[in-house]
Amino acid sequence: MNIIAQQIAEFLKNYAPFNQLTSEQLAEVASNVRVVSLEKKQTLFKINDTLHDSFYVVASGVVNISVIADAEESIISKLHEGTIFGLRPFFAKNNYKMTAKAREESLVYAIPIAVFKPLLANNSEVLNFLLENFASNLPDDRSSQGNLVSDGLFYTEKQSEAQFFQTLAYNTTPLLATSDNTAQEVAQLMAESLKNNVIIFERNGPIGIVTHADLASKIATGRFPINTPVSNIMSSPVVTVLENVSLAEAQLLMLKNNVTHLCVTIDGTDKSTIKGVISEHDLIAAQASNPGVLIKEIKRSLSSKELKEIRTRLTNLIQSSIQKNIPLTHITNIASEINFAILKRAVELSILDLGSPPARFAWLSIGSQGRKEQLLLTDQDSILVFEDVAQDKYIEVKDYFLKLGKKTTATLEKIGYELCPYGHMGSNMMWCKSLTDWIKQYNNWMNATRENTDNLSSIFFDYELVTGEQKIETAINNIVFENASNNTLFFDFLGNDALRNNAPLSFFKKFLVEEEGIHKDKFDIKTKALMPLIDSARLFTLSYEIKGINNTYTRFKQLAIADPKHAEIYLSCAEAYLFLTKIRTLEGLKNENSGQYINLEELSKIDREKLKNALIPMKELEELIKDKFQLTQFS
Amino acid sequence: MLDWLKNINKEHPEFWKEYIAKFSKKTNRYVILSTEATGNSTEKDVITYMSAFAVENDAVMIKDSFETILLQYRFLHDNHLSNEYIIESRILKLSEPEALKTFVEYLGNGIIVGHEIASDMEMINATLERLDCGKLRNDALDIDIMHRKLHELPEDKEFSLEELTEYYKIPSTEGDSTTEKAYKIALLFLKLKFKLGLK
Repeated sequence: MNIIAQQIAEFLKNYAPFNQLTSEQLAEVASNVRVVSLEKKQTLFKINDTLHDSFYVVASGVVNISVIADAEESIISKLHEGTIFGLRPFFAKNNYKMTAKAREESLVYAIPIAVFKPLLANNSEVLNFLLENFASNLPDDRSSQGNLVSDGLFYTEKQSEAQFFQTLAYNTTPLLATSDNTAQEVAQLMAESLKNNVIIFERNGPIGIVTHADLASKIATGRFPINTPVSNIMSSPVVTVLENVSLAEAQLLMLKNNVTHLCVTIDGTDKSTIKGVISEHDLIAAQASNPGVLIKEIKRSLSSKELKEIRTRLTNLIQSSIQKNIPLTHITNIASEINFAILKRAVELSILDLGSPPARFAWLSIGSQGRKEQLLLTDQDSILVFEDVAQDKYIEVKDYFLKLGKKTTATLEKIGYELCPYGHMGSNMMWCKSLTDWIKQYNNWMNATRENTDNLSSIFFDYELVTGEQKIETAINNIVFENASNNTLFFDFLGNDALRNNAPLSFFKKFLVEEEGIHKDKFDIKTKALMPLIDSARLFTLSYEIKGINNTYTRFKQLAIADPKHAEIYLSCAEAYLFLTKIRTLEGLKNENSGQYINLEELSKIDREKLKNALIPMKELEELIKDKFQLTQFS
Repeated sequence: MLDWLKNINKEHPEFWKEYIAKFSKKTNRYVILSTEATGNSTEKDVITYMSAFAVENDAVMIKDSFETILLQYRFLHDNHLSNEYIIESRILKLSEPEALKTFVEYLGNGIIVGHEIASDMEMINATLERLDCGKLRNDALDIDIMHRKLHELPEDKEFSLEELTEYYKIPSTEGDSTTEKAYKIALLFLKLKFKLGLK
């Protein structure tokens, strides 16, 4: 080892993960280093470059890591001395997902993957360090780890900006013609393919565009004969843009240049290959999946068909938001607002049909909808509470509300929310009752739990008003918390309910998968992982009398405040819940189902590890429940 | 010019023939060289130290390096010098013929880069002659000249390695050994190569 290699080893020794290596391993690494000098603004690798055979450590200077959005580089991290980056070749085969560029004159050490990989095999700590950091997407993680930059693509924006900066989908197979084609030929071409524009090109560069407007104003008016060369009538030059132009930018360009179409080329100039055409219509289509617009449209829609179409767009919005790594809490908030708007509209449509209700009422969502956690199209759960009326009117009123319930659930079914298999819906005789009956029902459930476990489901304790009287919800809220305080029997029931499912991991930390049935060898993420968390969160919030918070994630967050002694457990559960939801949602979106069963084989190794880690806090939570509620009665 | 005439009857050693054969191929390997000698005279003085790093694909290959101390018994003896400090060093120690042979094998057809490389080359060539070899055939680049070219400075203006490393803000190394010099020259070369747009 020569003196330079020694000095490199000395340098590396100060930083993770190299500090975990033995001095022989370190010497091996250091003597295989390749030193790369970067001038200011020189690029080391950029997005879509094929992977290098090495990863990098900043030796001196500063390197910027950036991603492209809105046709513009946005820097997501500045790397200083000792920071590791470019880990992608370790774990992935596809091209780089980010750009590394020197911010100032810098030196980086390139460490060949081939040299480092053998060290990983017998040093699990180093492997984990790299794995975790490659997998971590969150900026928080980066700051805590200090000197390593994730290669997964993280890019978070405030939600409103994210919509503004969303990239556009546009026509990537535009009609093309040369300048010696006649106007008639071009018009024929447009008519055949039902498009309203043709790009005129010359040696691969666009020189002009002919649209309906040009044909109308120049041919139909008789200013040019029908067989005139198209170059006489085209609008020229055509406004060109880069490939990944954003909605906002496209809009501005159209306004500025007073045009209706933009031509997309490889480098954004009119001297390069044509990639597509953006029309005004593409802009409108892009805006259509903006949450604000969706809610407005829901309010205006008149049939289940329209609502169904909007729900499909919501699914797309959720999908693209997850892909953009917008925090899941934001996505859930937006999605539940839209879901609620749809539910509300469904009730309103029934009222429009049936005439105004004979008494005040409240339509409450229960279960996942009530917790505002519904991202996928899962089944609908709801109850209907109407105010007490004179006895002679009761039958008539109940009849109306049953009809309202049936109509609404039918509408919702058409939209895509399946009926609840257990009949937990406002259309069910049992769950469409007057306020007094409901109060009796809750009293019954909570005080004589043992006899009433048959039709008691914990989902009745997650409710949220969809439409109707706020006062009714408050009344139910009061009765629940009144009954809950110091009600050992009731907490016993809930506690056992929360713990009834088998643990998700075996003693040896292996996933316990389905043993038979059509979901054999898949992991039931809903019953084994999500439900216990949801149930426990509910149990604790009831026992700490935390009112008005239904969402599992926020429940855990609140619990950490209410019970600071165990804050750590609650917080790790909150994070675990988010991650599990994300996995489930992605699975659901992929297979267009509820995502209940996860095919572990299809998960990446990193996700599998993260999933396993997310299941670990559940054990502690279980102990906490057993300890706090001293479960004996039913166990 | 008349070198080939002078050498025409000499039988070159085997390693030299192999070296010559390597020039049938083109190369993109640069060998950054730094040597230490007892003085400037090609006749009286000898090389005591040789260090080199290879540069390939714009990166200094730490592995692909060369470092040796030449044990000049005769010179030391003639000048009544002690070699005990040299003996203590952990660096590879070779006799002059062995060192030159290893170096020539390491060098191959790479393009030599150095600081005031002409004098290093002269010294090496003089030593090679003593071993019945010809002169080095490699192309050579001088970072001093590259620097002057970049800034269009007059030819007679010379810059020391210290001045250049300072000017280009090359991170300093701990010591001032020949190997560290070679490393600094390598980094300077990377910068100059980029700035001059050499492929």
